[in-house]
Amino acid sequence: MSELFVELFSEEIPAKLQINARNELKKNIKNFFIDNQINFNENFNVYSTPNRLVLHIDKIPNEIKLNSEEIRGPNVNAPEKALEGFIRSNNTKLEKIFKKNTEKGKFYFFKKESRKIKVSDLLEKNLSEILTKITWNKSMKWANYDLYWGRPLKSILAIFNKKPLNFVFNHINSSNKTFIDKSLEEGLKIFNDFNSYLKFFKQKGILIDQDLRKKIIQNKINEIINKKNLKIEQNDRLIDEIVNIVEKPAVIVCEFDKKFLNVPSEILITTMQSHQKYLPTFDKKNKLTNNFFVVSDIKDTKGFVKLGNERVIEARLSDAEFFWEKNKTQNLVKQVDKLKNINYFKGLGSYFDKIQRMRKLSSLISDDLLISKDKIEIASSICKVDLMSDLVGEFPELQGIVGGHFAKFQGFDKEVCLAVSEQYLPNGMESKLPKKMYSIALSLSDKLDSLVGFFGINLKPTSSKDPYAIRRMAISLVRLIVENETKIKLKDLIIYTCSAYRDQGYDFDTKKIQNELSDFIIERLKNYLKEKKIRQDIIESSTFLLGLDDLLKAYKKSLCLNKNIKKIYTNKQKPFNNFLENYNFSIKNGYQVKNIKYFSQNMENDIFAIICLNNARFMYGDTKDIKDSKQCLEMHKRDNYKLLKTKKIPDFLIYFIAYEK
Amino acid sequence: MVYKTKKKNLSFQDTIFNLQKYWSKKGCVILQPYDLEVGAGTFHPATTLRSLGPKPWKTAYVQPSRRPTDGRYGDNPNRLQHYYQFQVLIKPSPKEIKKMYLNSLSSIGINYEEHDIRFVEDDWESPTLGAAGLGWEVWCDGMEVTQFTYFQQMAGVECKPVSVEITYGLERLCMFIQNKKSVFDLIWNDEGITYKDVFHKSEKEFSAYNFEYANTDNLFKMFEMLEEETKLLVEKKISLPAYDQCLKCSHVFNILDARGVISVAQRAEYIARIRELTKSIGKVWIESQS
Repeated sequence: MSELFVELFSEEIPAKLQINARNELKKNIKNFFIDNQINFNENFNVYSTPNRLVLHIDKIPNEIKLNSEEIRGPNVNAPEKALEGFIRSNNTKLEKIFKKNTEKGKFYFFKKESRKIKVSDLLEKNLSEILTKITWNKSMKWANYDLYWGRPLKSILAIFNKKPLNFVFNHINSSNKTFIDKSLEEGLKIFNDFNSYLKFFKQKGILIDQDLRKKIIQNKINEIINKKNLKIEQNDRLIDEIVNIVEKPAVIVCEFDKKFLNVPSEILITTMQSHQKYLPTFDKKNKLTNNFFVVSDIKDTKGFVKLGNERVIEARLSDAEFFWEKNKTQNLVKQVDKLKNINYFKGLGSYFDKIQRMRKLSSLISDDLLISKDKIEIASSICKVDLMSDLVGEFPELQGIVGGHFAKFQGFDKEVCLAVSEQYLPNGMESKLPKKMYSIALSLSDKLDSLVGFFGINLKPTSSKDPYAIRRMAISLVRLIVENETKIKLKDLIIYTCSAYRDQGYDFDTKKIQNELSDFIIERLKNYLKEKKIRQDIIESSTFLLGLDDLLKAYKKSLCLNKNIKKIYTNKQKPFNNFLENYNFSIKNGYQVKNIKYFSQNMENDIFAIICLNNARFMYGDTKDIKDSKQCLEMHKRDNYKLLKTKKIPDFLIYFIAYEK
Repeated sequence: MVYKTKKKNLSFQDTIFNLQKYWSKKGCVILQPYDLEVGAGTFHPATTLRSLGPKPWKTAYVQPSRRPTDGRYGDNPNRLQHYYQFQVLIKPSPKEIKKMYLNSLSSIGINYEEHDIRFVEDDWESPTLGAAGLGWEVWCDGMEVTQFTYFQQMAGVECKPVSVEITYGLERLCMFIQNKKSVFDLIWNDEGITYKDVFHKSEKEFSAYNFEYANTDNLFKMFEMLEEETKLLVEKKISLPAYDQCLKCSHVFNILDARGVISVAQRAEYIARIRELTKSIGKVWIESQS
């Protein structure tokens, strides 16, 4: 049994590309072993530092036995040349060729004897291709070479059974050596096994294993925050990035001047996290402190690293503070007019035009949500003013949030401030969802205005391209409605938005926009449900012939069905064949929704299913029971049934929807 | 090599001298700044045009760079509408470029073994040049001091061979070396002249010009004229003069942008127009190279 050990040495590969390359390499090598029926330790790992991509697999046999096999050659009637070629390619002689009848006719055959192959030979032959199969999300060329890689690849070390594997990958010859100095790419050293390699670098403080680096960074941070009575925010994305941009992590605690804590914390946090990859700390009351962590790639023996980083944050924060002080006093209301000079989108007017439409729209939504019309109109009017501030120029990712802080500083109503702050939320599937009514109303009107606008000027996303992230906008709209159980009349709102555009002189075809947008939003709802791991047939059935105003209903229906269908299918009997029979049976015997617990344990599956369905209906608020079996039979005959049947949807779901329509 | 690094921190001009000497020893042609207003060292024809085509090329030079929108009337310690870049371009990118770069830091008094030097992902794109590259920004103890880019595309053409571009932000680098919080406090030479003495008045006046006084009607007209001129010269297949006119276009656009008279939609349109010019010039240049 032997180990395979490969190291690909390159210039610094960015964190995300590294993670991707590790996964790709792992997948490709695994497939190679499986395809060639070679045993290997399936618990193997791929490691990386910015400069080294390392593969290590053990428990690999040195040889594999290939069983004898009959190889089919050309048809006996084929020209002689074909036979000659067949003999040559199999490295054999005419005497060893025989004829044999098959279903497709008579063919020449050759019997390959069972034989042993060295795994090292197989690896040498295939490693280059395995590496070629790595797909990079972003890759580059350098110098005169044709190879594409994440960053320039400098050397390949490849060892099997303590001996070097020799192969050529583009312009690079593999060897048993690597550079031990990653900065200068110097100090070639021979390694014959993975353990001595790991040990060698560990002595230099370099950790090849990313998980180990992560653990060490986290332990060190935890040690310090416990001592200092601090907290850090759980931020996996940032930690994973940090782990993959260092090879010998050293955690350094730094400080910035406390006076900067007067600047809104989001600005400070963004500066630290996204611009500098620092970890901010919080006190026990979750208030930002002036301590932060820097993960350095070098031991800071002379204190240069701490000093340097503190100077950098000082410069960045004084910039931010300067802009905050300057912008916060600029009167929001007085600036609204200036939005006329800022284009919202080519063909959709200025931001001033946009907020006029949003004001009308949000005011209509306020009727549905039973909130104050005045307040939501104020929020709509001032919500885009922050786009003109220096701060948003510097921190575009804080648009809205910065506006909320301006509003708060200038004494606007709390709910108005929050709505301004949360107007862009949610932003897609994972993002935070606003919960307060004013925030929901403002966010809804922002998104509806955008969606109608983009559809109005025919900038709908295509199957491959969505440059304006319109899908994300629509998914966010769906989330606002279903997850908050927001009861709005979406159809009317779209029509109203169209008319708001028309009032401004846009020649929008309301009917067309309404139809297209309706399909588009329902399609997003389906995607959303899919993301939520709802079965495809349930998604199809619960969104079948769905109207725009019933998003919430469809959402609840599918959620409930999905939950109950698991119970049904775990009982592996044949359910639902005699749906109507059982249905009638259950009606006759008066099984009621309320008895579900009892019956679920005792009755037959089919009946249980029906009860589940009744239950489903009960849960989403429609308390009508199925009373008339005749009605169900009529449904059966409906076109819906045929249509759904073609979609391979189980009968019971079809009845369910049929009843609903 | 002997560099002046000991005892006190390197002055601004000594930093430039040392970098020039260093890259000169590495075989680079040391050029002087291009005599037109440009936004970055990359716009110097010694980079844009010379990075295209098959012929090897090594150069290094200082380039005054103008970013009208970044002007702050000399009030901001970190922001200038005119600053210096030190630019290195080598085609094809040499194998030992990282080593060369790290040693260049030593030549200006930064010992890379004592500092946290990081190569942080930063892919570069210039919509006006139709250019894109992959590389890093180099951090020294958290401060960005250099842009390090492998050109993949220039003037809309795929680069073959690939050049590597190293751009040092001289003011930032010197602020780091001299431990200054404000760019205006930088020591320019051994006589104690400061950056403020040299450039403060200019920052103030050019900010006023860029933001307040530039005659936008005339500039719009100039843009049209320069664009027309570029197209004419492209037809005549003289790429260098054509490129000069295109650079002027680009600067006129930058001032108009700073004056805030270009809307978002127009902005994209103007950038596309400049890109088209660059592309057509790149084509003419490449034809002359093979």
